[in-house]
Amino acid sequence: MKDESDKRLDELLSAVRAQKPDTSRLEYGFETRLMARLREEGSAAKPWHAFAWRLSPVFAGIVVALGIWTYCSPRDPEMDAAAVTASDEAQMVEYLTGNGI
Amino acid sequence: MTDEELIRSALNGGDASFAELVQRHKGKIFGMAARFVSDAHQLDDIAQEIFIRAWRNLAKFRADAPFEHWLSRIATRACYDFLRGKQRRGNLVPLDDQRDSEIPAEADSSSAADAREILVHAMQKLSPEERLVITLTELEEKSVREVAALTGWSESNVKVRAFRARQTLKKILEPTYER
Repeated sequence: MKDESDKRLDELLSAVRAQKPDTSRLEYGFETRLMARLREEGSAAKPWHAFAWRLSPVFAGIVVALGIWTYCSPRDPEMDAAAVTASDEAQMVEYLTGNGI
Repeated sequence: MTDEELIRSALNGGDASFAELVQRHKGKIFGMAARFVSDAHQLDDIAQEIFIRAWRNLAKFRADAPFEHWLSRIATRACYDFLRGKQRRGNLVPLDDQRDSEIPAEADSSSAADAREILVHAMQKLSPEERLVITLTELEEKSVREVAALTGWSESNVKVRAFRARQTLKKILEPTYER
């Protein structure tokens, strides 16, 4: 059962409920302000590594280009022979002197 | 376009789609948040905070309930956080400044304005939980089930808190009636 103070409170709440706050002035251009703030926060708050994934196609491209360049570049047979000879000589010196053991 | 289509577009980088969502729902959000604050600057801050939280969590939105319900939960949480923060800080805005930037009400009759002022002052003495539950049940006319969904409290908890908040509010208002 409701007492007198309940009735008074209900009347008060009813009077306030019936009033709709006029927020039209604040709503005007709200989305423009909000989007500007979101863009500002987005560019300021993101650390450099947040953008690193966007660079992954560039890095993939560099790896592919290096692969193609390595595969296609002409090999110098004299340089290969010199490397093999140098390696053989070094092995022989190590065997004869016992340094490699 | 539906809200769900706008959300998908916004998640794919469509800022204009999110702006469209904001435009659709800002009226309801402003109306709801205005029940918790009487200062226009604070209301603008809260409304921005609500939509920023929505933007950050947009990927978590599951279309099993309307976007409006999801946004209302975020708004309730943001308003509750605002009330708790205000309680921690104390009311730092001087009363004169508050009056300068007070949100006007549509067709403010003198008796309705008086009632509003009395209730605003009384509500400031309530705890954040009491204020939240009174605002949602009495001013926003939400059902116990709706309040439970918005706050994450159990339905019985909502009932108990609403009852206690009413008792406290009646006690606070007693001297006003005696005048």
